[in-house]
Amino acid sequence: MKRLLGCRAFMIILFSALAILPVVANPYLLFVGNLVFVYIILALGLNLLIGFAGQLAFANAAMFGIGAYGTGLLQVQLGLPFWLALPGGAILAMLIGTVIALPALRLSGIYLALATLGFAQFTQWVFLNWEAVTFGAGGFRVPPVDFGPLPIRSDHGIYYLSWIVAAGLSIFAWNAMQSRIGRAFVGMRDGEISAESLGVNLLHYKIMAFALSGVYAGLAGGLYSALLNFVAPEGFDLFQMIIHKAMVMVGGIGSIAGSVIGATLLVVVLEALRAFKSTQEIAFGTLLLLFVVFFPQGLVSLCRRYLPGWHEPMHMSGAELKPPKAIGPVRSDRPPEIEPG
Amino acid sequence: MHRKIIKRGFRAALIVGLMALISQSSSADEIGVSNDTIRIGALGALTGPGYLYGKIVMDGAQTVYNEVNAAGGIAGRKIEYVREDDRCDPATAIAAAKKLIYDDKVFMIHGGGCTNASVAAFPTIKEAKIPWVIFASVGDVLTNPPEPYVFTVALTASIESYAQLEFALQKGAKKIAIISQRDAWGRDRYDDIMEALKKHGIKPVADEEMPPDSNDATPQVLRIKQAGADAVLMVIYPKPATAFLRDAYKVGYKPLMAGTTALGDLPALEKQVGIPAALENVYAISHIRYTPGDADSQKWQALLSKYYPDEPLQIFQILGIGSAKVVVHVLQEVGRDLTRERFKAKMQELTNFDTGIFPGPITCTPDDHQCHKTPAWVTLMNGKVSTVATTTVTR
Amino acid sequence: MLLNYAIMTGLTSGALYALIAVGIVLVYKSTKVINLAHGDLVMVCGFLAYAFHVQLGLSYFLAFLLAVACGFVIGLVVYQIALRPLMKSSVANVLIATMALSFIFKGVARFFWGGIGDYIPFPPIASPEPMNLGDVMVLPQQLFILAGSIVLMLAFAVFFKSTPLGKWMRATADNVKAAKLVGIQTERIYLLSFGIGAAIAGVAAVLMAPLTLLYPDMGFSLFLKAFAAAVLGGLDSILGAVLGGVLVGLVETLAATYIHSSFQDVSSFVVIMFVLIFMPTGILGSRGVRRV
Repeated sequence: MKRLLGCRAFMIILFSALAILPVVANPYLLFVGNLVFVYIILALGLNLLIGFAGQLAFANAAMFGIGAYGTGLLQVQLGLPFWLALPGGAILAMLIGTVIALPALRLSGIYLALATLGFAQFTQWVFLNWEAVTFGAGGFRVPPVDFGPLPIRSDHGIYYLSWIVAAGLSIFAWNAMQSRIGRAFVGMRDGEISAESLGVNLLHYKIMAFALSGVYAGLAGGLYSALLNFVAPEGFDLFQMIIHKAMVMVGGIGSIAGSVIGATLLVVVLEALRAFKSTQEIAFGTLLLLFVVFFPQGLVSLCRRYLPGWHEPMHMSGAELKPPKAIGPVRSDRPPEIEPG
Repeated sequence: MHRKIIKRGFRAALIVGLMALISQSSSADEIGVSNDTIRIGALGALTGPGYLYGKIVMDGAQTVYNEVNAAGGIAGRKIEYVREDDRCDPATAIAAAKKLIYDDKVFMIHGGGCTNASVAAFPTIKEAKIPWVIFASVGDVLTNPPEPYVFTVALTASIESYAQLEFALQKGAKKIAIISQRDAWGRDRYDDIMEALKKHGIKPVADEEMPPDSNDATPQVLRIKQAGADAVLMVIYPKPATAFLRDAYKVGYKPLMAGTTALGDLPALEKQVGIPAALENVYAISHIRYTPGDADSQKWQALLSKYYPDEPLQIFQILGIGSAKVVVHVLQEVGRDLTRERFKAKMQELTNFDTGIFPGPITCTPDDHQCHKTPAWVTLMNGKVSTVATTTVTR
Repeated sequence: MLLNYAIMTGLTSGALYALIAVGIVLVYKSTKVINLAHGDLVMVCGFLAYAFHVQLGLSYFLAFLLAVACGFVIGLVVYQIALRPLMKSSVANVLIATMALSFIFKGVARFFWGGIGDYIPFPPIASPEPMNLGDVMVLPQQLFILAGSIVLMLAFAVFFKSTPLGKWMRATADNVKAAKLVGIQTERIYLLSFGIGAAIAGVAAVLMAPLTLLYPDMGFSLFLKAFAAAVLGGLDSILGAVLGGVLVGLVETLAATYIHSSFQDVSSFVVIMFVLIFMPTGILGSRGVRRV
């Protein structure tokens, strides 16, 4: 019975419930369900980077966009089939994510946040201005995916594909964070110098963290482009980034299950708030504020407190995400200065 | 033996129950039409910066619908106008369209604000074969090539862009410059202006851009001035236009300035710029017909204030009012036997309908669903708006 | 001539960013909180000034004072309700809280003033007619903005150096525990810092509104540029905020004038990214020390 209320059981129940959606739901609910998967993947990737590896990066929405544009353009400009374009977009996002890792070596905290923000703005600029490739402000259409020999409709197909990818990536993240990669990430997050002194190769693992979150965001972007059949610069701006951040915080930083919960909840809440019509912004802001004030550890903290079987390793229980006392650069070529007293 | 009977009985009951469920959801009436209500969906931005071309337009439409309902409705049915937010975002627009069609189950859609959002929702709406009267989206791709159930009452980007160039040429301009903003709205029109220029064999002497939230346009103004342009085609919103006109006045540069419907409210623009003399050579396309005496716009302001006391009559509500008048007229033409097919049939034969607020008549044909083709040019003379030209654009 | 205009425009645009950056830095310096809703605070104060002056007909200066006072009060209230419980928890939570506030501010502004107009004009202090300054023409309001940011910068320099409250704020920012030990009421300090930051937002709003016009969504794009400018200058230096603002304005304008106008928005971010690579704590920021 204890296992039944555990983390793993919860995820299984959630995914099973979502699996039968195409049979019972109208196209609107199906679309929302599909969005849930896309955002689960996004929240997972961001949590790996911010929650586990402790890198305060603001480029997730941009990587999301790169994945979407990559997958879409590979189909539209180069004529590749979706099955190649999806991993292609993800690889593109991963490579660019790796490039962002480089400033991460020198910067941390607010400065890293700003550098990645600058990168995100630059990506937006490229989407908008490199018209020859990206079709500029008006965006472009992506033809619906043909699932070939399988007798399945395009929208159902994308739904189940998203289901499979989201489930697969959740399991991968869970396992990865329990392995030495996860331990290295958490070590890096909780104290870079001590991690380094214990032999954790910061360069190696930082690049891995960025690359991993890049792959996640890139895959989410590719699925998103197939879901909307349309790619335009609007969907990948800072508002998106805020939503991603909110999902991770609401679910619980440093928790895989938290990412899944946070993403699902936020997508559902945003749709439910439609009832507020013009006052949605006030409703959403108030809800988010109340949430963060009363549940600063995220929803996972509730699960942990009240569900006896809930056990999640590597989670931040009580530990704070405060940056090191001084917001300084990480100069690994110079020994850290020691303050007297 | 008993178990088998129970099992079979259970199965039968299940089947009957399911069939009852299915048959309930498909009624004999048209979707969105009941004995006493016609449900019309509104797709547009209710929150976020796009709300001007969403919520405010809907307020205008709602005014018309409220008046119609107060007068007894259409063929005994009242109009219920259901709004869904697309936040000017493609994914949200698709969700909103699906919600309207499959959840709210509307009869037709009277909406469409931000172009990219509308373009994203377009396949969903097409697939559902639901009539869509566009009230503000200017993207040509929505109506060109024409889709059977989709009509627009907004002046499309191509209509306005061609009109801008025509107007400048009519006024004797020789060296033409363009100032545009790089977003979906701006780019669509920019591309059309370039196409129009090419057709005339003209090359612009300057091609500048500015961000839509810009506070200063001095670099752009100076570059255009240096190129010696005698006419500037403005493809910008009022805020960047304010900066542009202010800075042009600042450096003493007074070419012919031709703006789009975005700048159609010239009295408001004059207040925004703050310097009346800066609008001396500025012309814009207007959605509202200005006639001496102007009883019509007074009437609409009064009606709007009845339901939305804080809102002065602006371009946005006018878009809603004009298009709602069209919708109401077509619904009245169809009458009691209301189906989507019959709406479409009547809409596509609409000829010379006078909305009472747009400068020109509304005409649709089976091959041309861009029903509004008469841009009216206005300028400020002694602080009052006067119409200087009304053109009908044919491409 | 082109260069003179470019420099003048860069300075005046930059002054706009500087005005907002000062508020961001002030709050950060004392509380280590980046208030993502600062731009929206400016917007709300601007609309309040509009309500007092244009809608209610109060005199310009009274409306100015009231707007600043309201800003101060809003800052206090916001801190007390939304941020105080979060000061002990993570940085990320505070950021989310300020984001949530941003939505609330925008929604409220849209509700009350959204239907009045697309971009609402606000009267300038002096005449809107441009005036001569050397061989370039400027709008008087732009000079007021420039003057405003310089005055604020000087005022706060004096404030932090000489007044007791300023010194307490510096002490709290430096080492909270030590400040508490010497008897400084750090909670009060945080509260006041937020209030003062919001009051500065009010000042910025009234100075800027004639040029930027008022609309519910004006906050974030202003914040973004100002934040970038603040980081460029060094997040804990008010002089740095002004310097950063001016630099951002100059880079933008020079790029737009001499390269192409499409580079205006992105040029500042590219420059900031590069500066951070070589000077990770900004130009005037204090060199960080890593505590192990």
